[in-house]
Amino acid sequence: MHKNYCFSNILGIFIFNEHLKVIKSELFTNNEQYLSSPQTKAALSKQYHAVEPTGKSLDRIHEHFSDVKYDSSFVARNIELTKLHVKESVNEDNMIIQSVSSLMELTTILNMLLKRLREWYGMYNPETERAIEEQETFVHEILSKDRKQLLDRLETSERESMGGEIAKKDVDAILFLAKQIEHLRLFKVRQEGYLEEIMKKFCPNITVLAGSFLGAKLIHQAGSLKQLVGFPSSTVQVLGAEKALFRHMKTGARSPRHGYIAAHPLLASAVSAMHGKIARGLADKILLCAKIDYFKGEFIADKLLKELERKFK
Amino acid sequence: MKPTPVFDVFIDYRKRLFTKNLVKGVQVYGEKLVAEKGTEFREWNVRRSKLAAAIEKGCPNIFLRPGQRVLYLGCSTGTTVSHVSDLVGKNGLVFALDFAPRVMREMVFVAMDRGNIAPILGDANQPATYQDRVSPVDIVYQDVAQRNQVSVFLKNIDMYLKPEGYALLAVKARSIDVTRKPKGIFAEVKAELERTLTIVDFRTLDPLEKDHAFFICKKK
Ligand SMILES: C[S@@+](CC[C@H](N)C(=O)[O-])C[C@H]1O[C@@H](n2cnc3c(N)ncnc32)[C@H](O)[C@@H]1O
Repeated sequence: MHKNYCFSNILGIFIFNEHLKVIKSELFTNNEQYLSSPQTKAALSKQYHAVEPTGKSLDRIHEHFSDVKYDSSFVARNIELTKLHVKESVNEDNMIIQSVSSLMELTTILNMLLKRLREWYGMYNPETERAIEEQETFVHEILSKDRKQLLDRLETSERESMGGEIAKKDVDAILFLAKQIEHLRLFKVRQEGYLEEIMKKFCPNITVLAGSFLGAKLIHQAGSLKQLVGFPSSTVQVLGAEKALFRHMKTGARSPRHGYIAAHPLLASAVSAMHGKIARGLADKILLCAKIDYFKGEFIADKLLKELERKFK
Repeated sequence: MKPTPVFDVFIDYRKRLFTKNLVKGVQVYGEKLVAEKGTEFREWNVRRSKLAAAIEKGCPNIFLRPGQRVLYLGCSTGTTVSHVSDLVGKNGLVFALDFAPRVMREMVFVAMDRGNIAPILGDANQPATYQDRVSPVDIVYQDVAQRNQVSVFLKNIDMYLKPEGYALLAVKARSIDVTRKPKGIFAEVKAELERTLTIVDFRTLDPLEKDHAFFICKKK
């Protein structure tokens, strides 16, 4: 009784005879055929009374596919399958990570532009620039009132001001920057809303315990929710403080107590002596929330948050 | 354009490295293209490719020849792969693997332009998961910058490299251990490789790539 072998790979399904010559082949022309190959293979094996090759015969069959005549099919089939895999890899994590990155960039850009605006506007109206510390109010005020009105409120005048006498087109250029900053701020608010929305949907527990921005930053730093779940809580605690951590490992400098989670209300309001303890407790619970969200478990973050507040407030 | 000791790698009057461009007129990563007597050459940036850095540091033979099949682990966006693809030519084949979808996306575009690259989204640490997508190769190349890079390398050699094939490894000391001196790490890697392979060349890549080394090995 002679022996046939059935072998399949990304190129197709092949029946080899006992001399390891191909006697039948079904070449794939699309991903679907490859992905459903187990069924096709079973049918073909049956029809040709073929078995799975093992040992020496398997090695020789592998070598068979080193022939240059298969090269272009290896290229074509692998390109098509990889395209599908890349397509399928796009998921919620990507949306969360892109949107939080965009938010962090917007924050940096806004700070830069605001600094420039104050510097520039200060040439024209230094008293007002100095008097209004809050950024949003500052931008709003200089856009809605002219210099005379603003100085009046400070009980001074344009004559007494140190502000330079500059042309209207110069003032317009400054206020145009202010206008753009206001637009960017609105844009940022929208982005925050969007991030909040997707975080609530895909990571409801993290979002309630840590907030959408902090939670998303942790996912971003970990690379994905899956990777975050794989970290020990001591790593979650210092995510975002990588620089300090490397310094600690290389030079023995003090190890950082916390990274991004420092921005959590529980930590921001705590006395310094408690920071280490709170950071540990918080990282623990955030990790627990991440695990629940990853495995799509039930919602318990509100209870966890209350517990933490009771313990540390 | 003058030849170098390394097969099919060229050098110009400013001592920059080049390979012959497999696909005329097409750049991969913004590198310079230079035409000379009907042949187009692509600059091979020694600061962006560890294989080029190894050549720059004096490696006389990288064992890549036209018509070979290569398994390239950790291909990223295809900077080095594109030159390997030039070297094995249109009758050669490069299986280019990376586990990061973001870089694979760029790799696919490069593969579609070049015709001799088979891109694979997969984990080099689990060679069995891509066994139906590759076939035995003449060369295994690895640059994954992972803690367990040596064991990943050996597993793949065991599974896919033909007997007497060559295996090229870029090692990043910091990804094995950030706190230790690179020298000690390289010595350890060497010992580990020598258990199953013959080492034919070793270079440290400083200052082109800080704390990196390059090993060329032969399968026994
Ligand atoms: C330093 S880069 C390689 C650069 C590339 N060799 C070049 O010169 O153009 C390392 C790459 O290895 C990939 N990588 C790391 N571990 C991997 C693994 N286990 N499987 C597949 N790819 C991996 C990373 O995604 C990254 O793209």
